[in-house]
Amino acid sequence: MGEVMKPQQRQLLYAGLAVMLVLIWIFYSANGPQTTAVLAGTVRAATLLALGAMCGMIGERSGVVNIGIEGQFLLSAFAAFTIASMTGSLFMGTIAGIGMGLMMGWLLAAMAVGLKVDQIIAGTVLNIAALGLTSFFYDRSRSLGMGKYTNIDLGPLADIPLVGTVFFSRPPLTYLTMALLVVVHIALFRSVWGMRTRAIGEHPGAADTVGIDVLKLRYLNVTLAGGLAGLGGSYLALEAVGTFSRAMSGGRGFLALAVMIFGRRTPFGAYAAALFFGFTTALQNQFQLNNTFDIPPQFVGMLPFVVTIVVVALSGLVGSMRDPAALGQNYEKG
Amino acid sequence: MAPMWRRLLALLMVLGLVAAACGSDSDGGEVSGGYKIGLVTDTGKVDDKSFNQSAWEGAQAGAGNVLGATASYIETEESKDYANNIQLFVDDGAKIIVTVGFGLGEATIEAAQANPDVMFIGVDQWQNDALPNLAGLMFPEAKAGFMAGALAGMLTETNIVGAVLGTDLVPPVVFFKEGWENGARYTNPNVETISTYHPGGLDVAFGDPEWGATTARQALDQGADIIFGAGGATGNGALIEVAGEAGALCVGVDSDQWFTVPEAHPCLVTSAMKLIDVGVAELIAQANAGTMEGGNYFGEVGLAPHHDFDSMVTSEMRDMLAEVMAGLDDGSINPMP
Repeated sequence: MGEVMKPQQRQLLYAGLAVMLVLIWIFYSANGPQTTAVLAGTVRAATLLALGAMCGMIGERSGVVNIGIEGQFLLSAFAAFTIASMTGSLFMGTIAGIGMGLMMGWLLAAMAVGLKVDQIIAGTVLNIAALGLTSFFYDRSRSLGMGKYTNIDLGPLADIPLVGTVFFSRPPLTYLTMALLVVVHIALFRSVWGMRTRAIGEHPGAADTVGIDVLKLRYLNVTLAGGLAGLGGSYLALEAVGTFSRAMSGGRGFLALAVMIFGRRTPFGAYAAALFFGFTTALQNQFQLNNTFDIPPQFVGMLPFVVTIVVVALSGLVGSMRDPAALGQNYEKG
Repeated sequence: MAPMWRRLLALLMVLGLVAAACGSDSDGGEVSGGYKIGLVTDTGKVDDKSFNQSAWEGAQAGAGNVLGATASYIETEESKDYANNIQLFVDDGAKIIVTVGFGLGEATIEAAQANPDVMFIGVDQWQNDALPNLAGLMFPEAKAGFMAGALAGMLTETNIVGAVLGTDLVPPVVFFKEGWENGARYTNPNVETISTYHPGGLDVAFGDPEWGATTARQALDQGADIIFGAGGATGNGALIEVAGEAGALCVGVDSDQWFTVPEAHPCLVTSAMKLIDVGVAELIAQANAGTMEGGNYFGEVGLAPHHDFDSMVTSEMRDMLAEVMAGLDDGSINPMP
């Protein structure tokens, strides 16, 4: 299932973590502000990817591929921004973003589960519709007069050097995302709902015979997962950027899918993968800021993708990655 | 699902796709008859609050000065559509076609050669060989960047100034950056300049505010206290991020971004302006009067007003800026040595 690690993998993970901590400590002693800036940028870039990955993972664990995360991000960001600028309340905007995400999730479920449309096509419909609708209805005179979400320092925790800035001086939706990672992990692997969800993704026929309503649960899961992407959209418009602009999701919905697979469809794995992607982005920015290499930025910009290919290839060697068995298949009650 | 629901859902999806179709190529004005002025944007949008928008405003102003003229635009979705979008206006009988951005340069030259009766205005497009019906509207971006950098060099307290930029694939962005860094060093020899280009290609580099914001934060975190955001929506993301940092300043680009990015009011000390709207309107007037000359036409650049930060810019700084401006104009200061 992916959530259980072999002892050998676990050792490798701990070894990797230890090496990383030592490296961070060395860099921090060498140049504190830059190390802090890079790691803060890492955590920041990871939040949206983690939300998208969780959305994708709940769908895929239930057997439904969601390639419409990009569209869910975009339309939710639009809804969040529009409502926030109309009401003057970031909170209302966030709720609107989540609501739009739920609606998009429901639409995907209606197509992919209800109408049994090919799941890839259903997701593509979401992406195209979101791009068109937001371009059409975008009103450039709107703005967020009250500014975006600002950092909240978590008391004395925020004063710890490095760790404080990186993890405990963050805006609210980032904290919410971190909490959701734990919630989704427990829900997926320690609850009845999670067990049933994984069952309908692996063997819907068997799940059906023990009395699980496969279609209903897929409907529910894909809709709920949309709420996570909706939160991602709210995060994008109201916390990361502070405005809306067309096509602002910039492919991160697709990157989230890569992060999900890389993280073996587990919340913590996905967060680790998201942090990794965030780190490579922050690192290549830092290379430019420092003028480390005198080569074109596009070349350094390949870094995240090159490293991903290498790591995916390596992790394929270390342990196999397997999709849920019923992934992408529409279920017909026999 | 009940049949009724199915039909409703199908209808919804169709509506969504119709909206998608409308959204991608929206039309700014009347399409029937009369004197037509067409504008083709780069892959940015006509409401990008930056250079496409400036050019569009110029085209509208230009059309307003010509009796009975209407202006309309096509937004380019992908760079492969440049030539097609220009051709759409040619087929529609447009008299003047404005193409916005370095990326459309080649497609514009080809269209101008194929259609000698249509006047073309290419914003940010350098003309090596002058065609009689194509004027390249160029700006000395390095000068504008130098002025902004000179101000930043005087304003910075940490002696670190940052720049979050579109892509170095577009020469004007490079000129802005080089000018900015040299200007900062001119007024403040101790300054450290930290600058970053978007690592993506032309299709995303100007439309990625999330990257702009994250990168601006990274620069702020390592001590930059004034940041130049130059690159469409990407740069705007940087400006808004700086606005959230108490005490930090930001500098906009292309137009006076005080009016285009109100979220940046808490930090926007000035903008390095290219007067694209003025230049486009002027060239349209010339084209209409038959006095437009082919080749390169140089528009004006300058610094936008300081708005809320008027009192922060002292009279010594203003004197210095005037001196720099004079030096740039008479050639005694080279913005890109």
